[in-house]
Amino acid sequence: MWILIYYIFCYLIFFYTMMLMVSYMYLVIMSHRAQKHLSVNIPDDETIKYFLQGSPLTPAVSIIAPAFNEEVTILDNVNSLMNIDYPNFEIIIVNDASTDRTLELLINEYSLVEVPYDIAMKVQSKPIKRVLKSTEEKYSKLVVVDKEHGGKKADGSNAGINVCSNKYFVCTDVDCIIEPMALYRMMWLVVNSHRPMIGVSATMLMSNGCIVEDGRVVEAAVPNTLIPMFQQLEYLRSFLISKLGWSCINALPNISGGFGLFDTDVAVKSGGYDPTSMAEDVDMLLRMVTYMKNTGQDFRLAQVPKVCCWTEGPGSVKTLCRQRIRWARGLFEIISNHRKLFFNPRYGPIGSFVLPYIFIFEFIAPVLELTGFLFMIWLILTGGVNWDSAIILFGMIYIFSVFMASFVIFFDYSAKAVEWKNTKLSYLKLLMVTLLEPFFYHPIITYCSNVGYWQFISNQTSVWKPIQRQGVKKKKS
Amino acid sequence: MYLSTVLTDLTNDKHWQKVNSVSVLKYYFNLFMAYSTYYLQYAINMFADYPPEVKVAVLVTVLCAVLMLIMGIALFSLSLKRKHWNRIHRRFERKYGEKMDYMFSADAQKKMSKYEIADVFDIPHERIGKEILKNRREKEVFVQIFYQKFITERADYTNRENITEVLYLFGIPEFLEKEVSLRSTSKKADAMSKIRTFKLPISTWVINKLLSSKYLSVQRLAMYSNIMLSSDTDLDYFETDFFDKHSCIKDEMELAYSLQRRRRAGLKLPNLARWANLQKNEHSQCMFVRLMRRFDELEYCGQLTKLYTTQTRKKKLIEEISRTWGYLHYTEGEDLLIDALLTQPDDTKVAIMHALTRFATGKGIGALLEGYRNTTNPHVRFEALRCMYNYGKKGRAMFYELEKNAKEQDKKFFDFFKNPITLERIRLDKEQAYHPSVETIYNG
Repeated sequence: MWILIYYIFCYLIFFYTMMLMVSYMYLVIMSHRAQKHLSVNIPDDETIKYFLQGSPLTPAVSIIAPAFNEEVTILDNVNSLMNIDYPNFEIIIVNDASTDRTLELLINEYSLVEVPYDIAMKVQSKPIKRVLKSTEEKYSKLVVVDKEHGGKKADGSNAGINVCSNKYFVCTDVDCIIEPMALYRMMWLVVNSHRPMIGVSATMLMSNGCIVEDGRVVEAAVPNTLIPMFQQLEYLRSFLISKLGWSCINALPNISGGFGLFDTDVAVKSGGYDPTSMAEDVDMLLRMVTYMKNTGQDFRLAQVPKVCCWTEGPGSVKTLCRQRIRWARGLFEIISNHRKLFFNPRYGPIGSFVLPYIFIFEFIAPVLELTGFLFMIWLILTGGVNWDSAIILFGMIYIFSVFMASFVIFFDYSAKAVEWKNTKLSYLKLLMVTLLEPFFYHPIITYCSNVGYWQFISNQTSVWKPIQRQGVKKKKS
Repeated sequence: MYLSTVLTDLTNDKHWQKVNSVSVLKYYFNLFMAYSTYYLQYAINMFADYPPEVKVAVLVTVLCAVLMLIMGIALFSLSLKRKHWNRIHRRFERKYGEKMDYMFSADAQKKMSKYEIADVFDIPHERIGKEILKNRREKEVFVQIFYQKFITERADYTNRENITEVLYLFGIPEFLEKEVSLRSTSKKADAMSKIRTFKLPISTWVINKLLSSKYLSVQRLAMYSNIMLSSDTDLDYFETDFFDKHSCIKDEMELAYSLQRRRRAGLKLPNLARWANLQKNEHSQCMFVRLMRRFDELEYCGQLTKLYTTQTRKKKLIEEISRTWGYLHYTEGEDLLIDALLTQPDDTKVAIMHALTRFATGKGIGALLEGYRNTTNPHVRFEALRCMYNYGKKGRAMFYELEKNAKEQDKKFFDFFKNPITLERIRLDKEQAYHPSVETIYNG
């Protein structure tokens, strides 16, 4: 009986691994296809700018950035947002009742005064206390919303949606560094889409290690410390392979909360962000897709293959664990809240392929990996390991992961996704972390996912703690 | 053992005794094949006793290794290609960059002859009319540099004729025309958009050829170029339901751009209302109605009445027609709008109220009040107040009258219009207000 269970488990793991590799290969092919298609349809930045800047029909965009106790960086960040190059946009900073000097600094710096404002509470958020605008013409793009404390970014984003007046909005974190051409890149996909574009995901990378000047990344570099380096590779893989691949079949499962563009009307009709959700960005996108499908409307979701935003990621194992445990809880919540979409062809490729993929290969994987690890220990202790076969199988998985990372580098170079300051050194670093990732980084992620699942099942309350920012390097004058 | 047998066979082969270049190649190829077969056989024998999953694992590992090798080679060749391109780019930038900058600068304001331009670029006069750039690659790089400067410096250049003359001097129009007619779809589209950007005349045969292209993107670019350049007013592209469901915002932008260029060149604009009537798809109909608004086609507004009265189910279309009538002051449509106001959905109601405010004939003031009272939607009430506030004396009086009796929670609506900062935000010029998304906050 035990032998039978042993064989079933071994073969299950083997077929699971093979299926996982097949789906990765599928994503590689799809992302390559998408990149080919986009290289034909997306001209260089200057041409996009020339076209969109010169047309009065260029759609207007609202940038929503919730802020809570950001007194150290708020002015730099707002200035960075002001530097964005786009002909028609507004910036909405939502102050979530900061207890420090965030609002005071904004008021003093930008000469803000309270204005009466038409606020229809289109989506749920804590009450807005007041809306402030600048008396100076040069800051006319800026709107500051002062609201009651909601405690979640989703609540702040919803308040921003209630105030925003444009057809499209971009949701971002106030500490993100946005590429000056980011809006042009995203809106180019919107104006070129033959179907109504409801969401555009932008490629986002780690700002750790980059050099920043006047709120812009002037020298892009791979971080020097190991944990951010692993994450840089992970981000590149996620945006340039997974998301781009899925966008090819119009089945993008997630538009990052760090920097993503949405159709305001569809977002409002879908109920906006859910402040109680741990993964509010995925949750809102899935509700938007559900809404569009239920009302029989055609839609499009797209991914920009070039880097549009830089964010500071966790620099230590402790903060990384905290972030990943939260993400794991969020994933569990998404799986349980949107279960009716899974394996449901009514919801198109998202219901038929992407969500089942996420369930089988992202949700179950950490549990299987942990079980496999414990099983391996038991086999070692009982002397039941066929070492030759084990080494070969491990070699396969290892080589495959290296192959995936190499493809990311190849893709990054051919698509010119990032303009690295020192391309060779950056790729060398990425290759190095590729070799180390399965031994050091992956076990941490697996551990955190399992802890997250356990916390969700055992209904443990979680307190959202912002990541301890170390700040970005500034160019010396 | 196997390898040595193959090698012996090969050396004994009579063909190998006649040594020539082809046979040497063939020899090495066979040698390579022999080695490959040998090692493959060796690998197969080595894993013969292993279970199938191990064999699969080995196969996957080898496959990944081969793919990585291919990627490495591709990366290397791509980097060489880029280096080569960058080298030519730098050489041309050094050679022509400053001269191009001069042509875009204010110093080159007055019209220059081709000889003067040749002097600027250090080209001997006897070379004028001959091929100055050697090959396709050089022309491609030259166009690229020139294009970059053209689109970044456009605010500064003042003499378009000089710019066109430079392009003719280097044979760029012929090159782009050739690209359009010969190269791949992406090259075609790229060359076509450059022709449009440089505003170069293009042969009719090229446009006709592109109009029958099987690729929609190429077809449309040709169509927009023809609209821009053709002196004919009876352009028949939209006589059928051309766009169906496949139009995008960019199509509208391109059409607007072409019509704008056409108007600047003094050419007559086509009857957009007729095109709107001929389309079946609501999206395309709306697009043409919006373009009418943009290009002040007041004389054709009457032709929209049929659409307004027959296509009542198309809410977006009704909304766009209402806006267009409002903007163009087509007061003949006012009665129709007043009659329709209370039966329309909320968004259309708002558009109608804005139109009535623009007419400001006095007839619509009662309708605005009705619009304010007969709705529970705060947005519609808000817009009704905005319209009253901007309607003129009568409207303003009604606004203050309503304010007196307003409930406490509605007071902020009234305050909104009286605040100078918010008014500053919504005081948009006509160009901006044309855009549907910002038009909703237009204050009349």
